[in-house]
Amino acid sequence: MAYESDLSFNYLGPTKIVFGVDSSKDVEIEMSTLGGTKAVVVTDEGIIKAGLIDHITKALGGKCVGVFSDIPQDTGVEVVDAGAAFARKNGADIVISVGGGSVIDTAKGMCMLITEGGTLRDFNGIQLLTRPQIPHIVIPTTAGTGSEVTNAAVILDKAMGQKRLIVENFNIPRLGILDPKMTAKLPKLLTAGTGMDAMTHAVEALHALPHEPITDGLALHAIRLLYRYLPTCVENGNDLVARGQVQIAATMAGWAFSIAGIGIVHAMAHSIGAIAHVPHGYANGMLLAECMDFNLESCPDAYAMVAEAFGIRERGMDDLDAASAAVRALKEFTKKIGHPQRLSEFKVNEDDIAKAAELSLGDGCILNNPRMVFDSSEVLEIFRKVL
Amino acid sequence: MAKVKALTQEWMDAYKAAIVADPDYKQIAKDWEGSVALVCNPDPDKGVPETIYLFQDYWHGDVGEFVVCDKAKAESAKFVMTGDYSRWKQVALKELDATKALLQGKLKMKGDLPYVVRNIKTVNKVIDILGKFDTQWPDDPA
Repeated sequence: MAYESDLSFNYLGPTKIVFGVDSSKDVEIEMSTLGGTKAVVVTDEGIIKAGLIDHITKALGGKCVGVFSDIPQDTGVEVVDAGAAFARKNGADIVISVGGGSVIDTAKGMCMLITEGGTLRDFNGIQLLTRPQIPHIVIPTTAGTGSEVTNAAVILDKAMGQKRLIVENFNIPRLGILDPKMTAKLPKLLTAGTGMDAMTHAVEALHALPHEPITDGLALHAIRLLYRYLPTCVENGNDLVARGQVQIAATMAGWAFSIAGIGIVHAMAHSIGAIAHVPHGYANGMLLAECMDFNLESCPDAYAMVAEAFGIRERGMDDLDAASAAVRALKEFTKKIGHPQRLSEFKVNEDDIAKAAELSLGDGCILNNPRMVFDSSEVLEIFRKVL
Repeated sequence: MAKVKALTQEWMDAYKAAIVADPDYKQIAKDWEGSVALVCNPDPDKGVPETIYLFQDYWHGDVGEFVVCDKAKAESAKFVMTGDYSRWKQVALKELDATKALLQGKLKMKGDLPYVVRNIKTVNKVIDILGKFDTQWPDDPA
């Protein structure tokens, strides 16, 4: 892939990563290195029922001042406000999130409110913070969002009927603990959906307008790892080697898109999530190939690299041929891992996609798409292909 | 034609005149409503001893008040964009893309991000016009 002579970027990846089977047992040691003495653990009821919290609270002992677990699948402004009030009441000086994207994003919002005060609706804008926020340790229980290393959080604002995108460099988590055992109980379908979320982050980081060599490298290796190991995770969730490699891929993809940005797939996934509550990972996974097809002629070189990472680029293929092959391979890949194929499987209808198409044009992600999108009819056309 | 001193009322007047004179602005900005404040952080070494507040009022393709103002007026704007002097200069000289600057934290924006995204053509147009008149920046050689 060629880079322009005016290439310029800032790479910011301040999160320490601790990886390994049973590494989550080290949470108290790691917390102390960050100066934390009173931790509030943020999680959800599903994680508690799955028994993924007990060893963490046990390791923290008296340093755990409370567990906040009232978090739905799509977190909201009120949830974050309530979580922050809970943490303040208990005197927390560090936040430890244990869960998937909704939990981690809730914790990110809480960190801002614990440090700055107020409610989440006071933070209307982008890059508003001027100082580091309270430390945040992330222990992901899915391998998809990459949220443990990103500056972004997505919080549903029901009153506005839209997901709020928070982007704050001063609120990037300090530490991510990737313990393959924490994802071993993830069901097949959720493994596929969260894995495709990571795949979408990686592919979109490659085609996003601000992509650069460091993020390209991270994204490409993430794609290689996901293509190789995600099917194994779906087949045999207890394969901790595969689980670990997919976790690492999700983190690398998170780093990549946090810097390079993402594009139309996420703009559409955020919107259909807000309108019809389609879970984010599944929405990304269903839309990715069709959006690549939409962008194909704007960035064939990026998708040709995807084909190379998949190991399917044949001698004699030009970039466009290879890019088309990548789109076809990706569609087959989603079938192979048992990923949902159509939005109608989530009871989405024509009215929903019309509203979501309109909403997509106001999503910040769309600004970084390689093909400019100015009309909602173009977005609607893509939605119809996967309805 | 003499250069206009940046970040002064004279500069705001020239900026407003350039927007009004632009043949495409009115059509592109037909959906935009609301004021924008630009806040330039001080940089004494570069000739900006104090924070400068600029207030611009835009309404459906028309241009209203364009003034150097105080902090309270700037903070009353629908959108408040804040950055260091050098960053604003880079944006004006097209050395820095404003959208990229926001995402990288080089500029900060208070206001409704989805609204800005939906109207990005207007934002890009206004920034494009900013580079169309000769400006004397405080740290430029006299």
